Amino acid sequence: MLRQLPAGVATLEGPDLRYGFINDRMRELVGEGQPGQRVTDFPGNLPSVFLEMLPRIYTDGSEHTAKACACGPHHCYDLSVQPYHDEQGQIAGLLLLAVDVSEQEAARQRAHELALTTRHLDARLRVLTETAPLMTYTVDAAGAVTYVSPQWYRFTGQPPTADLTAIWPLLVHPDDRLRVLYESAAGRRTGTGWNFEYRLRRYDGVYRWMLSRALPEVHPPEAPFFWHGALTEVHLERELSEARRRGEAELRFLADSIPELVWTASAEGLVDYYNQFTMEYTGLTKEELGPTGWVGLLYLQEQAAAARRWVQSVASGEPFEGEYRLRRHDGVYRWHTIRARQLSDESGPRWFGTCSDVEEQYRLRQVLQTQYDELSRAHHNLDTFVYAASHDLRQPTNNLRGLFEELRRSASFADPEQAVMLGMVDTALAELDSTLIDLATTVRTQRQQQEPVEVLDMSLVLEEILLGLRPEIMQRGARIDVQVGEAPGLRYSRANLRSVVHNLVSNALKFSHPNRPPLIVLRSYLTPDGQPVLEVRDNGLGMHIDDPAHPIFQLFARQHTHVDGTGVGLYLVQRIVSSQGGHLAVTSVIGEGTTFTIHWHTPSSSS
Amino acid sequence: MKHIVYLSRAVHALTDHDLQHLLDQSRHDNEQQGITGVLFYSHGNIAQLFEGEDEIADALFARIAQDGRHSHVRKLVDKPIAARSFSNWSMAFHPLVTEGFEALQGFLLPHHMPPAPDSLPIADALVVELVRLAVFGPDPSQPYHHALPLAP
Repeated sequence: MLRQLPAGVATLEGPDLRYGFINDRMRELVGEGQPGQRVTDFPGNLPSVFLEMLPRIYTDGSEHTAKACACGPHHCYDLSVQPYHDEQGQIAGLLLLAVDVSEQEAARQRAHELALTTRHLDARLRVLTETAPLMTYTVDAAGAVTYVSPQWYRFTGQPPTADLTAIWPLLVHPDDRLRVLYESAAGRRTGTGWNFEYRLRRYDGVYRWMLSRALPEVHPPEAPFFWHGALTEVHLERELSEARRRGEAELRFLADSIPELVWTASAEGLVDYYNQFTMEYTGLTKEELGPTGWVGLLYLQEQAAAARRWVQSVASGEPFEGEYRLRRHDGVYRWHTIRARQLSDESGPRWFGTCSDVEEQYRLRQVLQTQYDELSRAHHNLDTFVYAASHDLRQPTNNLRGLFEELRRSASFADPEQAVMLGMVDTALAELDSTLIDLATTVRTQRQQQEPVEVLDMSLVLEEILLGLRPEIMQRGARIDVQVGEAPGLRYSRANLRSVVHNLVSNALKFSHPNRPPLIVLRSYLTPDGQPVLEVRDNGLGMHIDDPAHPIFQLFARQHTHVDGTGVGLYLVQRIVSSQGGHLAVTSVIGEGTTFTIHWHTPSSSS
Repeated sequence: MKHIVYLSRAVHALTDHDLQHLLDQSRHDNEQQGITGVLFYSHGNIAQLFEGEDEIADALFARIAQDGRHSHVRKLVDKPIAARSFSNWSMAFHPLVTEGFEALQGFLLPHHMPPAPDSLPIADALVVELVRLAVFGPDPSQPYHHALPLAP
């Protein structure tokens, strides 16, 4: 029976303590030891401290138990020794009991190490929770607050002795209190966590927005008993997002109040907002319009081009602008200017677009265009008429002159006054002829406004013109001084330049002062801002510039009635120069001379 | 019959192998389910237009929206159509190694894609053009290094 005991049993007999009975379990402990041998000679794994005690126990007959003795490298035993007696009651030996407690001991050791680790972890957790900028707390299933981190005390200004469970609901803003209590209770009841925001009173009495999140500590299958959570101050974020929400709402309100189609689109060019007016105008909902619905509202033939243009704008980021007809809810198309621009900021690019109704302007423009076309046609007809009339009238005038010459040669008049009248008729006929020529020239010049523009060599062109005036120059003994060194070239129409210079020089010759030979200076130069100018200065009669009775630049207005002329010249010059975007300035002193300054303001230099 | 257009972001960049696998699998599934359309992929950006019977298309989109392999799924268009505009289902992307792919059925190089079919309403064709631009960038022959801004 002793052999099958789950403990080691051995007897040590006699004062020499020789092995007697050894069961199998004890064999593991004492190893080689055989009955009859002394325990001190073959101690096996028995610890030496224990061996030293054995003789003493034998002597005084006491009992002894040694707990968790390390026997050998791998085992631990609870060893107990008690003496046994022979029939005479004398101590005959010792009974040795060994219970293997290696596993219990190892477990104890592990528990100890675990406790150490736990203590480390706990310390670390504590440091972390107490230094992190958020407050942590623990609530049990009944809703009692069992822990809050020191930050909570610092934030709320509550003493460490405060009754947490009682006090915390009082620190929550009255408007949030019921909601918070309800939500946390609901979380505890269902065994889930929670996540909500509320205002918590700070030590200075100011309520600050906090985010409270908690999760249950779960050990299945038991229901959770603790909820651990954190409180983060989200006041600034909350205020910012509040401001943003308000700003957004105000913008939306503004956009919805504008009687124009307003929309915004994502970076990809997909419309994500249409204002209220868009819905009213189109009669469609946001869903019906969709991210690109606007294109379907355009005139069928214009849709593809508009879509391509939009894709191009989205790809390049360039603004989109165009005039399109947009279908109204009643099927009427109205002209709109569609504009969209890209806004790029830290939240990425976005598109903002408007469609402005320009139907009225469009109609007005069309009416104006029609009227302009009619006027232009009428003007052209008038020109043609004048040209044709002046041209056609020249033939009868010539005939008249011929007939008159014939009459004068063949007829004879007795009355000398009649001879004077003949002369007057002759003069009148000549004047009629030259007026007709000038008229024809005027009309032709007006047609030449679209003359080709080229770079002209001033000295060559001026020389050509002066060559054409050679007879008059010779006749009057005039001196012409040409100075083109400062601006030798000019971009202008050749025919127009010829007309201008020809008219001004022949005027200067015509209105020369009777007391002195004419001196005409032609000077081409550049103004300080680089504009080409031609100055024509003479030493002739001069003229009244501001005299309303004798306007200088009007058709048929004549300054000097004693000099031959039709009054067409300066009008023509003025017309040509201003039609090319330039202007003509004149200064004059009666009896001393006149200076014309032509600011060409050529098309190329104005651009 | 309806069609659905969406944009999304792949959670992990797809390799040539992933793409080919996706192409094979989707073609097989879509052919069985009568789904036609086109999918664009580039650098994690995904856009797809697909058309099919209402329930099948809705179920497919529900699966796509749940699929953990991509995120930020944004449905752009979901509306009934009278007839299909695509005769089959295909995929367009830039493989790292082009060779093997050119011969694959249903595969398109982004710059060899045919323009949106005329049967597609212009507003929807514009959506397709815009998502193609968003996925491949202004020049589809060049791999496009650009991430879509996340949906607001």
